[in-house]
Amino acid sequence: MPAPQDNPPARRQRLSRVVNIGLPYLWLGVFFLLPLLIVLQISVAEPRLGQPPYTPLWEWLESGVLQIQVNLQNFMLVWEDSIYLTAFLNSLWVALVCTLLCLLIGYPMAYAIATAPPRWRIPLLMLVILPFWTSFLIRVYAWIGILKTNGLLNHLLLALGVIDTPLNILHTQTAVYIGVVYSYLPFMILPLYANLSRLDPTLLEAAADLGCRPLRAFVRVTLPLSLAGIVAGSMLVFIPVVGEFVIPDLLGGPETLMVGKLLWTEFFGNKDWPLAAALAIVLLGLLVVPFVLMQRLERRMEDSA
Amino acid sequence: MPIALDRRNLDTWQDPKATPYVRIERVSKRFGEHHAVEDLSLDIFKGEFFSLLGSSGCGKSTLLRMLAGLEYPTAGRIYIDGVDVTDVPPYSRPVNMMFQSYALFPHMTVAQNIEFGLKQERLGRGERAERVDEMLELLRIAELRRRKPEQLSGGQRQRVALARSLAKHPKLLLLDEPLGALDKRLRENTQFELVNLQERLGITFITVTHDQEEAMTMSTRIAVMDAGQIMQVDTPTAIYEYPSCRFVAEFIGSINQFEGKVVESDGDQLLIETRLGRPMRVRNFHPLALGTPVTLAVRPEKMRLCLDYREDGVNQLRGVVEDIAYLGDVSIYRLRVEGQRVEMTLTNTQPRTEQVLTWDQEVAIEWSPTSAVVLTE
Ligand SMILES: Nc1ncnc2c1ncn2[C@@H]1O[C@H](COP(=O)(O)OP(=O)(O)OP(=O)(O)O)[C@@H](O)[C@H]1O
Ligand SMILES: [Mg+2]
Repeated sequence: MPAPQDNPPARRQRLSRVVNIGLPYLWLGVFFLLPLLIVLQISVAEPRLGQPPYTPLWEWLESGVLQIQVNLQNFMLVWEDSIYLTAFLNSLWVALVCTLLCLLIGYPMAYAIATAPPRWRIPLLMLVILPFWTSFLIRVYAWIGILKTNGLLNHLLLALGVIDTPLNILHTQTAVYIGVVYSYLPFMILPLYANLSRLDPTLLEAAADLGCRPLRAFVRVTLPLSLAGIVAGSMLVFIPVVGEFVIPDLLGGPETLMVGKLLWTEFFGNKDWPLAAALAIVLLGLLVVPFVLMQRLERRMEDSA
Repeated sequence: MPIALDRRNLDTWQDPKATPYVRIERVSKRFGEHHAVEDLSLDIFKGEFFSLLGSSGCGKSTLLRMLAGLEYPTAGRIYIDGVDVTDVPPYSRPVNMMFQSYALFPHMTVAQNIEFGLKQERLGRGERAERVDEMLELLRIAELRRRKPEQLSGGQRQRVALARSLAKHPKLLLLDEPLGALDKRLRENTQFELVNLQERLGITFITVTHDQEEAMTMSTRIAVMDAGQIMQVDTPTAIYEYPSCRFVAEFIGSINQFEGKVVESDGDQLLIETRLGRPMRVRNFHPLALGTPVTLAVRPEKMRLCLDYREDGVNQLRGVVEDIAYLGDVSIYRLRVEGQRVEMTLTNTQPRTEQVLTWDQEVAIEWSPTSAVVLTE
């Protein structure tokens, strides 16, 4: 019998495998790796006046010498100046808190939608997606109107007699939390819903039959089986929130120091592209760590279960 | 026909002093306007292998789910071991169920699936491990203990599901089409295994099936259901030989029916005048008034070739062979007798080429008065 890889179907299979695996890599290479390399290159340059506003990585000198200039000062600065470290830590903290809040609010909502009578599910999902039909920026601006000192919320609370003096929420970290949780909640709900709606209800019946009260059945069956949805939703919230710029800029105050805001300032305010690029690179590095950790945790859960 | 199992010591339901282990009392279940189960009463005794048999959608699963507590009756009461469990939630019932889809937990290994129910009881770690080993041993799946359900074949899953439902040593096990997903060969082997297991463990089994052969092989008693109601409850033999109504007679096996009315009643025998114009004699235990319209029912295998046919012979008919279905061990002959179809099954004692009956041949058939039953409804 000839070797299996020599017959035409096997060759076709190999070709289709190459295309299947190759295409995504090509996509990633063009739209992710290439821009990343460009940013990396800018991060080791020096700012200058002109177009582009940074020094090139290499230059041919007249004497025929190739001069490569790698400037690591931006990274040193990011490490040394405590403002950047504080901004990073604060961003991670805000992202963590918001992810947990989204999970706490989003899980019950996703669960309720997934277990609602079928004819209710689509309308409920529509309600979750509906805010996307309005511009993100406008929705965040709307929160200013709600949260400001003589805004909707304070008027309501004063009228109800819950408070005597207006609350100062706008331009505080609290306002950022509110804005972020509001904006990113759908990104938590949708993957969780997709996951929970696939859960076989007879598994819960089996758990009940084997002696589990509803809460225990939830902990032992529903929760572990929805872990993939939890991880997906958390990633979708956590990663963009760390670099979030608009919400802290519009709703946050002076004490809300977040990387996104700093990056914006360096880039557009100070026109220091290399420093901004260095911040972006460090940010990326910081985001890869939780991602890898999450993935490893997930794999461990799968193995041990 | 299926081989009957040795059930000689198990007929508790005939003991008038025995108290039923499961008592279903005038239970109804409605889904909206639809009556899935209607005013159904049933007693099941300890140690029985009880089967609910009926066509699709007749309410078998609904009845079983009400016993498990997964569905609550709209009316009526359910007692298990003398306790009214009608409103008791599933997790507090002394009952376990094996699901039709098996419902194994996909994120747990075989051993963890089996241990699942034990973790809800106050059992020590060692005791739990022992019980899991016992179950793995019992169902001969020890080498699968570390596998996940997705890595198992259908038959293996069925065993794991059974092991899981037996792990808590329930007094009553409910099985919803336990063999439904298995192929024919595996089914037949598993039927006997299931019965042996049940006898060894002394657990009361209630199974749901729509496979009559399966019900006949395994059960101590069968309840034949139709449209949410029970048509007959009896042993497999009685259900087959003495169906109580036309529905049961037609549902189990095939049967020839002759309509007529009672013309003479003498001792334990009735003389019935049928539409075919001939008198038929049948043994009967219930008194019937003269003139009562009845249906005389005879199983095809109870018919035999008649050698001394007479024009006025009792229980004798003459017809023409219209169709022959050769099944290997037996052949089914479809005869036309004065405009009515009559089926007869004969064992193929001779090779097919030497069989006496062929198409369009005229034959005379007969049966004994004790082989027929009278149906009034
Ligand atoms: N949750 C439900 N809601 C509405 N109707 C239901 C529900 N469960 C069952 N029914 C209906 O009740 C009737 C009996 O259903 P059941 O599942 O008991 O049938 P079954 O005898 O087990 O049938 P099968 O052999 O196909 O499993 C069916 O007509 C079914 O459509
Ligand atoms: Mg069913």
